[in-house]
Amino acid sequence: MSLVAEAFVSQIAGKVPFIHVGNQVVSELGPIVQFVKAKGHSLSDGLDEVQKAEMKAYMELVNNMLLTAELYLQWCDEATVGEITHARYGSPYPWPLNHILAYQKQWEIKRKMKAIGWGKKTLDQVLEDVDQCCQALSQRLGTQPYFFNKQPTELDALVFGHLYTILTTQLTNDELSEKVKNYSNLLAFCRRIEQHYFEDRGKDRLS
Amino acid sequence: MAASLELSCWGGGWGLPSVHSESLVVMAYAKFSGAPLKVNVIDNTWRGSRGDVPILTTEDNIVSQPAKILNFLRKQKYNADYELSAKQGADTLAYIALLEEKLLPAVLHTFWVESDNYFTVTKPWFASQIPFPLSLILPGRMSRGALNRILLTRGQPPLYHLREVEAQIYRDAKECLNLLSNRLGTSQFFFGNTPSTLDAYVFGFLAPLYKVRFPKIQLQEHLKQLSNLCRFCDDILSSYFRISLGAFSCVNRYQQQIDFGEVHSHDSTT
Repeated sequence: MSLVAEAFVSQIAGKVPFIHVGNQVVSELGPIVQFVKAKGHSLSDGLDEVQKAEMKAYMELVNNMLLTAELYLQWCDEATVGEITHARYGSPYPWPLNHILAYQKQWEIKRKMKAIGWGKKTLDQVLEDVDQCCQALSQRLGTQPYFFNKQPTELDALVFGHLYTILTTQLTNDELSEKVKNYSNLLAFCRRIEQHYFEDRGKDRLS
Repeated sequence: MAASLELSCWGGGWGLPSVHSESLVVMAYAKFSGAPLKVNVIDNTWRGSRGDVPILTTEDNIVSQPAKILNFLRKQKYNADYELSAKQGADTLAYIALLEEKLLPAVLHTFWVESDNYFTVTKPWFASQIPFPLSLILPGRMSRGALNRILLTRGQPPLYHLREVEAQIYRDAKECLNLLSNRLGTSQFFFGNTPSTLDAYVFGFLAPLYKVRFPKIQLQEHLKQLSNLCRFCDDILSSYFRISLGAFSCVNRYQQQIDFGEVHSHDSTT
């Protein structure tokens, strides 16, 4: 089975990432993983029940802290929003749609932050949460090549995706990527995966 | 002890010291770490705010939200995690995230959104704890907050639909309960023989689900199949809260004074 992964911005139509398989389209990480598993490929087959529980827990931690922090930084930090996010989010669309959609998305994200209790957090508190999350990931990884020793699993893919994005995306301040850079084993982890699996692509290398 | 620690939280029922998950997490952690908390149960007087409960008050500080309260207690040297390794500490964070993402939406739904449960059990209980006219307003507000949280974290914009997410959140919650049961196995607590932060969180989330009598009980039924989790809750209740399993207190308007280690409740068992 060959997977054709396309990445184009399609905020109205669907959610990235998505895959086309034959005439089926599956979107978002969770369902894609399930779909691939149902087709007979799974990264976490070698794990026992307790390890699978741990893996799911760490994936939720990444979603809970890293993803929310990324969203916070993109949409709730006024400096970043003004300089980068609004322009980037609205860029595929003509005026006035670019402004309308950007404001709508910002409002949506702020509502969500408020519902989960992040509405009143300051940037420093968010960065502290990111630090705590990275510390937990770093401790769990230790000196192993992957989170569950020899073989990469869904967790490794998720962590790599988030950390790589944090490390390579230019924002108004570098504090988020600095927090990640404090943990040398996480940096080494990202470099290792990048070299091992993505060495064909030349752009955007980690410095 | 230098500072006196007072906790405002929702009261108990159905054999629990509190029916509110977040309050229960803090109470359990205090017991595990030996923090001398004076528990002030929300009652019919007009004191204090009720929306952000649990709230810890000391002479100089007011701390809200369980995570912050636990952090504060740790800084005051009431640390239930000092025997944990770094990896176990990391695991704690991960499992708490799992609880909040996968189990909490369904627990909120069972208590606050499922209409049979909300109107016959949850709303009357919470309304009975607070004075009129707040009793008309606050339960509704809490219910809307719960629905909001479920929809915004699980629903799809722009027209968040509850129906789409209901089945999914219960599936996720059942899977989460299975994972917790697998992880606990036959141990007494999640990390060895002494309870820690994770045990407080799991207890706080599971015990109300386990004990409160609801009409619509699919998640509760699932939990009852996982005997090690039920045993876990019962053990903590009998060891740390000294409430025997036979003494259920029904919904009542009497104030319950829960001091450290003792329960005085003036009501009749059914």
